[in-house]
Amino acid sequence: MTRERVFETLNEVFRDVFDDESITVEEETTADDIEDWDSLEHINLIAAVEQEFGMKFSMGQVVSMKNVGEMADIIMSQIGD
Amino acid sequence: MPASFTSFYFLCFYALLLLIYYLIPKKTQWVFLLFASVAFYLLTGEGVLILYPVAASLIAYGAVRRIAGTEDAKQRRLALGAALFLLIGALAALKYINFGIHTINAVASWCGAQEKILTGFHFLVPLGISFYTFSILGYIVDVYNGIARPQQNFFKTALYAMYFPAILSGPILRYREDGEQFFEPHPFDYRQVTFGLQRMVWGFFKTLVISERMNIVVNTVYDNYTAWPGSYIWIATVCYAFQLYTNFSGSMDIVLGMSQTFGIRLPENFETPFFSKNISEYWRRWHISLGVWMKEYVFYPLLRTKAFMDLGKGLRKKWGKKRGKQMTTFLAMFILWFTVGIWHGGDWKFVIGSGLLHWFYIVSGELLAPFYKKCMEKLAIDPKSKWLDGFRVLRTFFLVNIGFVFFRAASAADAWHMLASAVRVWNWGELFGGGIFALGLDVIESVIAAVSLLVLLVVSLLQQKGPVRERIEKKPVLVRFALWYALLFYIILLGHYGPDYSAAEFIYQGF
Repeated sequence: MTRERVFETLNEVFRDVFDDESITVEEETTADDIEDWDSLEHINLIAAVEQEFGMKFSMGQVVSMKNVGEMADIIMSQIGD
Repeated sequence: MPASFTSFYFLCFYALLLLIYYLIPKKTQWVFLLFASVAFYLLTGEGVLILYPVAASLIAYGAVRRIAGTEDAKQRRLALGAALFLLIGALAALKYINFGIHTINAVASWCGAQEKILTGFHFLVPLGISFYTFSILGYIVDVYNGIARPQQNFFKTALYAMYFPAILSGPILRYREDGEQFFEPHPFDYRQVTFGLQRMVWGFFKTLVISERMNIVVNTVYDNYTAWPGSYIWIATVCYAFQLYTNFSGSMDIVLGMSQTFGIRLPENFETPFFSKNISEYWRRWHISLGVWMKEYVFYPLLRTKAFMDLGKGLRKKWGKKRGKQMTTFLAMFILWFTVGIWHGGDWKFVIGSGLLHWFYIVSGELLAPFYKKCMEKLAIDPKSKWLDGFRVLRTFFLVNIGFVFFRAASAADAWHMLASAVRVWNWGELFGGGIFALGLDVIESVIAAVSLLVLLVVSLLQQKGPVRERIEKKPVLVRFALWYALLFYIILLGHYGPDYSAAEFIYQGF
């Protein structure tokens, strides 16, 4: 899966989780950029991303991920090509 | 030496440390800090209790080496499990066994038992056990999760656990962010040392001038609340909010300032919490290091357990996506807030006052949100208006104060009686007719308290626009010196000192 494709899919997941069609995520997007992305929604988001890509984040990754770019890195390293 | 950073002897001890710290070779600074931490622990409490933090450091050292030294998942899990069991076990045994016993006795007496079924234990609880245990637990879990570097030196692990400025009242440290800097060389930096000392002075102002004065009013009313009904309870509770805030955040200013003079940067614990617009925001700004810890090591792992994931799926099927998700989070939050409450102490007043009551606030806030939204649309109120924000800040402060009644009262039952009296008795006329000056602060003392609180308010407002110390630094030298010396003399002249200059004990060091 290409990085562009990962981001396209992430956009869909984010829009669905935060119930906001105007969201477009980029490499540098963080929780500060999305109003409803607080510690409660973080876990819901993680679960939704995992389900969509059929992969699993480790607890370390869940708490130390800095932005959507890092999330994409982890996804790509786990789903292979 | 009393366990207080505001005691005269401690300040002498600290001055000596600072001097030696910058005279010895940079590579040995951390060893010196470890010696100082051990000396501090031995001098401030029951010396033998130092065995607890030393044992905790040994457990961390052993567990981390085991976890990092093997690829075998089973071995790693075993090492993690054993360390968690021992550390949490010690904390639970020392702090919570009596809570369990008292609760069982209370339940038995409701059921008609004439005598106590179980007798409580008397333990000497080591200083700072709640703080160092949490700092260590987080470190071990982070190593297990692969995001913290395992420390291979026992003495370095011990310094992280027992670093003396933070051991009494936090902040709770995170090794992966705060740990390594303890062992780096720290050359003397005039600006950092000055900034650190300035922050300590500000901390002394908060604790000695404000907190100690508030304490007098609070004690008068809370120690004898039947004699001080109605409005007195309100005023004493607001005083308690400021007492606790200036005491705890002031002690953090001293701890962080002192660390800054050593070249060590610790995480912030407060961000003007009384300006919060809702309860969730309040907990992101009050005792931040505890909130972050709870989120990372209780809330997230709990929500990621298979049981919770399955529950979430089930509830979503039953009630739909939104409601199902909400219910799962509420349940996890209940466990989280119970833990936050009980961390403060084994007593229902803590479990309610700094735990479940806040859970109730957040849950009802979430459930009522659509209703509020409709109301505001009907009444044509702009949800982003400044007035509404002001109202939100006051409402949040009020809600937090209800929790403080539980937190400060002798028991949950007393808190309940006090709240009932606060609502039932209307005696504001008496309070403002002079009653307010009968609570231990006369007219002059009350004016000093009010002026000091105003100074705190102005500085807090300025802090919203960036660091205040840096702004003062840019002022001409005369203005700068005048400001800092005025504050220093203000503290020396108006600070409240106890019989041995150590009355200002930190409330949070009991936890």
